[in-house]
Amino acid sequence: MRTIILLQLQRLRREPGLILSMFAMTFGFVFLIGGFGGGERIDVPIYFDASVNVEKQALLLDELNESDSFSFTETEPSTAKKQVALGDIPYAVKAMDSNYQMLIATDNLNQMLVDNYVHQIYANELRIQEVEAGVNDPDFRDKVDRYLANGPIALTSVTSEGGSGGFDLQKQSLFGMTLFFSIYTIIFSLGKLAEEKRTGTWNRVILSPVSKWQVYLGHLSYAFMIGFLQILVVFIFFNYVFNYDIGSNFPAVIVTVACFTFSIVALGMLMLGLVKSLEQLNALVPIVSVSMAMLGGAYWPMEAVSNQVILAISKLLPITYGMEALKDIAIYDQGILSLAEPLSIMILFGVLCMGIGINLIERKV
Amino acid sequence: MLETTNLRKTFKKQVAVDDVNLYLEKGEAVGLLGPNGAGKSTTISMMSSLIKPTMGDVTWHGKSIVEDPSVIRLHLGVVPQEIALYKELTAHENLKFFGKIYGLKGKKLENEIAHVLEMVGLTERKNDLVKNYSGGMQRRINIAVALLHEPEVIIMDEPTVGIDPQSRNYILEMVRRLNHEKGMTVLYTSHYMEEVERLCDRIYIMDNGRIIASGTKQELTSILSSEETILIELDRPYPELTLELEKIEEVLRVVETDKGMKLIVPKNSRLLGKVFRVADKHKAQMVSVNVQVPTLEDVFLHLTGRKLRD
Repeated sequence: MRTIILLQLQRLRREPGLILSMFAMTFGFVFLIGGFGGGERIDVPIYFDASVNVEKQALLLDELNESDSFSFTETEPSTAKKQVALGDIPYAVKAMDSNYQMLIATDNLNQMLVDNYVHQIYANELRIQEVEAGVNDPDFRDKVDRYLANGPIALTSVTSEGGSGGFDLQKQSLFGMTLFFSIYTIIFSLGKLAEEKRTGTWNRVILSPVSKWQVYLGHLSYAFMIGFLQILVVFIFFNYVFNYDIGSNFPAVIVTVACFTFSIVALGMLMLGLVKSLEQLNALVPIVSVSMAMLGGAYWPMEAVSNQVILAISKLLPITYGMEALKDIAIYDQGILSLAEPLSIMILFGVLCMGIGINLIERKV
Repeated sequence: MLETTNLRKTFKKQVAVDDVNLYLEKGEAVGLLGPNGAGKSTTISMMSSLIKPTMGDVTWHGKSIVEDPSVIRLHLGVVPQEIALYKELTAHENLKFFGKIYGLKGKKLENEIAHVLEMVGLTERKNDLVKNYSGGMQRRINIAVALLHEPEVIIMDEPTVGIDPQSRNYILEMVRRLNHEKGMTVLYTSHYMEEVERLCDRIYIMDNGRIIASGTKQELTSILSSEETILIELDRPYPELTLELEKIEEVLRVVETDKGMKLIVPKNSRLLGKVFRVADKHKAQMVSVNVQVPTLEDVFLHLTGRKLRD
């Protein structure tokens, strides 16, 4: 087994392009989405319709800027429209008296989050206005404000993204992009096995006194090791160099990454069992990894998704549990015991895929 | 030493190998001759324990390798038809890896690597990447890997496919030396009749998954002892001439070749006169006419009605 791992490392040393490109892509995308250090907020240009008076404009702007995650900046309507039209900014909000519109240049990861947030603010305001109209009490608004400020029960809502209903783009991008690109690295590393079957070196190794399970274990261990190290190196780098917060429970991070990597190695084996050639595998990997990242919350938080079908599918994907566990560690400082559910689901997923995958591969001989 | 009994392999409903019985004695060079698709590679895959037969058995010194493949693996070297090497590594790195998986290490491993590199004539190029080698050099390293652990028997699956005549000659000479000087048992598969004729003591001829003839070269060609071959070289193809020659009563078979045609006729049938007359009738220009004793190619033709390289 050790000889097989060393051989694969030697091959990697000669042709490191794939792994290096995956590292570069991870770094690039995390920087692009998460930014360089500091808890950055999402900038949202906003302009007001003539139906909103100046006093209400100030109140609405204050209310919108109460979130730690968004920074609403008033801008001229013509400027906002021009910038969106030219693609200089991805979106802008047009605030009206009892409604709002979003000007969108291109589909954007944050657009959905902004939309949800503004929708929530308007819905609350309209609800209060509706009740106010019904009770016919001129002091109603003040009473509501007093009750909200000193209510008998204080309810604090905290999402898994952290903060009070906000969203930490840094954690999302770091965890999401790192896990996403590691899928490529792991499955392409396993692709060496398919390549060896094609070139005949696999048969040559099988005909040696080394047992088949040792050969499989060598390939699996290599893919696991490469994927595991890639994720950890990225996390450590962003944590120490760019102050990205990954939580203080590093052992729990290691265990989570190990479980996730195992599940993806197993998924890779299943895919190897299903495809007939290396070319088919190369075509299938982007389809599977992108779909999994989209449905499993690597591109955007699952909290932004309301479609029940997508939510149900996400429960079948290991990346959902990987993201969930990593966020729980980073935000709530959860320990391994508290993460038993996502970790065990990833392991179960891995065991199932591994069993089916090896069986399918062996049947092809 | 190595023996197959009623070996059969089916892939879904396709019979690849059917009721094959063959054996190798220590120190022998045995040829497995047959056209592409005859079932040679499947047979040797079963004999080397790579795939399990659907029926029948393969034994190594009386022990079934179907039940326990490990009994043969340390004693067997296999040269696959494809270049089964890590091309991004050097020849030395390839040999080191394959040596290690056969349990060689340290000085013994380095000595064996040096020995096989010398044998295949690539000592000077050992640190070059395999992908930078010529086809012939890659084939030589492909063989060297199989020799590294000094196997008792070596199975070679068409080891000279797609290489230049010089490299081919080098490989054939190397196999001959391994067999004659080192006493290594060789099973050599090929669809090149002349390679098998040159190297092998005994020959099995395979077609459509079955052994259709076996024996020494003399025994096989004696199948056609009552026949001889008239090889006619023509300036261009004459299809109507073929049809006309087939009508001659004494002609047993007419086969078109690259440069003309081949007639199998009874020995001493004195047919040349008739052949010349037919050729003259069709204004066919004969470049040369040779009367030959039958070759293995002719034996195959006689048994199957097809050429080896069809």
